[in-house]
Amino acid sequence: MIAKRLRFKTSGPTQFVDITEQLREEVRRSGLRIGRIHLQSLHTTVGLAVNENEPLLLRDFASLLERLAPSGAGYEHDDFARRFDIAVDEPVNGHAHCRQLLLTGFTTLLVEEGELVLGRWQSVFAVELDGPRPRELAIQLDGQFDEASSPLAGEVAGHSPARGGFQAGNTLNDKDLVELELTRQLMVDPDPVAVPMRRLVEAGGKRLRPRLVQLTAQIGPHHDPLRSAALAAAIELLHNATLIHDDYVDESTHRRGRPTVAAMEGAERAIAVGDFYFAKATRLIAEIGNSDVTSAVAEALEAICAAQIDDVALRGAFPGDHDSYLKVVRGKTAALFAASCASGALLSEADPEAVEALRRYGDLLGVAFQMADDMVDFSPSSGKPVGLDIRQRVLSLPLIYAAEDREVGPEVRRLLAGALGDAEVGRVTELVRSSDALQRVGDEARGLVEAALRELEAVELDGLRPTLVGLARSAVDRNS
Amino acid sequence: MTAQALVIGRELDRLDGLGEDGLSDTYRSYLEIVDSYDEAAQPKLALAAALIEAGIRLQGLGGRAAPAAALLMGDLCLARASRLLADNASQNLQVAFARAIEEMSATAASGAGGRPVRELLVGAFENGR
Repeated sequence: MIAKRLRFKTSGPTQFVDITEQLREEVRRSGLRIGRIHLQSLHTTVGLAVNENEPLLLRDFASLLERLAPSGAGYEHDDFARRFDIAVDEPVNGHAHCRQLLLTGFTTLLVEEGELVLGRWQSVFAVELDGPRPRELAIQLDGQFDEASSPLAGEVAGHSPARGGFQAGNTLNDKDLVELELTRQLMVDPDPVAVPMRRLVEAGGKRLRPRLVQLTAQIGPHHDPLRSAALAAAIELLHNATLIHDDYVDESTHRRGRPTVAAMEGAERAIAVGDFYFAKATRLIAEIGNSDVTSAVAEALEAICAAQIDDVALRGAFPGDHDSYLKVVRGKTAALFAASCASGALLSEADPEAVEALRRYGDLLGVAFQMADDMVDFSPSSGKPVGLDIRQRVLSLPLIYAAEDREVGPEVRRLLAGALGDAEVGRVTELVRSSDALQRVGDEARGLVEAALRELEAVELDGLRPTLVGLARSAVDRNS
Repeated sequence: MTAQALVIGRELDRLDGLGEDGLSDTYRSYLEIVDSYDEAAQPKLALAAALIEAGIRLQGLGGRAAPAAALLMGDLCLARASRLLADNASQNLQVAFARAIEEMSATAASGAGGRPVRELLVGAFENGR
């Protein structure tokens, strides 16, 4: 992708600036063969239009705008006595803002065979509504570039936005693209849902699921970094939506060091925010237009919800057993890991054997990841409160193993059967640490990672094997 | 038992109690308005809409928050509806349903009163053609 700014000066109050030739030149210089050029006005009094460049017609357009939103018609925006924080050079321009509302502030044009796709009479205009002034449009070009002139293979080059959660510099990598897409999606949502979700998303998270999508989306013959970033961001939103409902169910007050939506905005809002992003994520995935991907993610979502019901039901038999644990974890955690891997591969049109191998890789990795996560609850150096899973009676493999232990098991079971105050939680933590439960869980998680990696042996991974191996190993060898 | 009833029964696995909770009536209401869709898909589309309606009601969206168990059951209803749509609906219809839920939940989050669920979902069937 290439991102740039198009700058120009206007010379009149209302002016149709034909930028078609400049856009054609940008397309030619970029080497874009097939794709899109996106334009966005960076002003509230500059619009965009695609129409015929015929001088009398342009005067008709100007007259139409004047009739629909006449200048000097008594706009409230121009009543400075009623406004706050007015700049000294604030113009009287209510009419210009209203006119801009009638146009569009952004548009996308297609590029085919290295040329802008426009009809015989079509020209592209930046429409000045409050000139004369210096003006700026943001443009992005994406799609397939000529090998020779492509900015970077596998990376995205261009302008680095001043704000946002991505790296500064001249290139955008896959991770930046996901952050950019998340920021973009959250920017357009209504505040009552966007503000709590933004707080959760900006608090961090490992972004393992989007990473898996983006890696596996490089395996098939059709790798499109923007589509895979869109899918990756949607899956991350879906994951966060499930966390918001989980936090209400678990009565958690904090996640990623910040108050949960249920704790800060209340249960009603938490339910609404979770539902909104559940729906939005499924819509974004549907809009990608690959029915296999949509089905893969929908199946995972159903598995997550069913497993969450099992999880809560099993709290009556806390700490549970290994089989129940695996059943819940396969649904609650591994299903979305598996769907992330499979959907990325499906998006790139990888062959069916590769898709299934990657799905199994994701499933095993997801279970291993959850086991490692359980161990973090007993690590004083993790930065998280120790013993939270015990306090909330969350299914946890170290607890299951400690409860089965010949030496500490009876005391662990007795403590877990009663009320869990600070003293009891502290004692259970101590007993788990003194047993071989954590060692067993660690060994089992590493065994699962090795099994996951074996699934990849027969798959042609186009040079991605070391990354997938490294990602799998780092998912279990961690302390947070 | 008809093949259609078998299919519907399978889709209600783990959603015990919804039948007595008015799901059958809701399902039949939607079945009456999906006749312009592919005949084979009609029962599943109607069921998806009925499950969304049931899920929203179970969760207490727009009203008082449901207790945890009811919320999770509501989540499962929505997830199952989503899967039914993914497997049986056109892209347009999937998008229309998602937008209907977005509207309901954004309205609920803002604390304002919104349009009834049924009206939104009937609208989604119209917009999704």
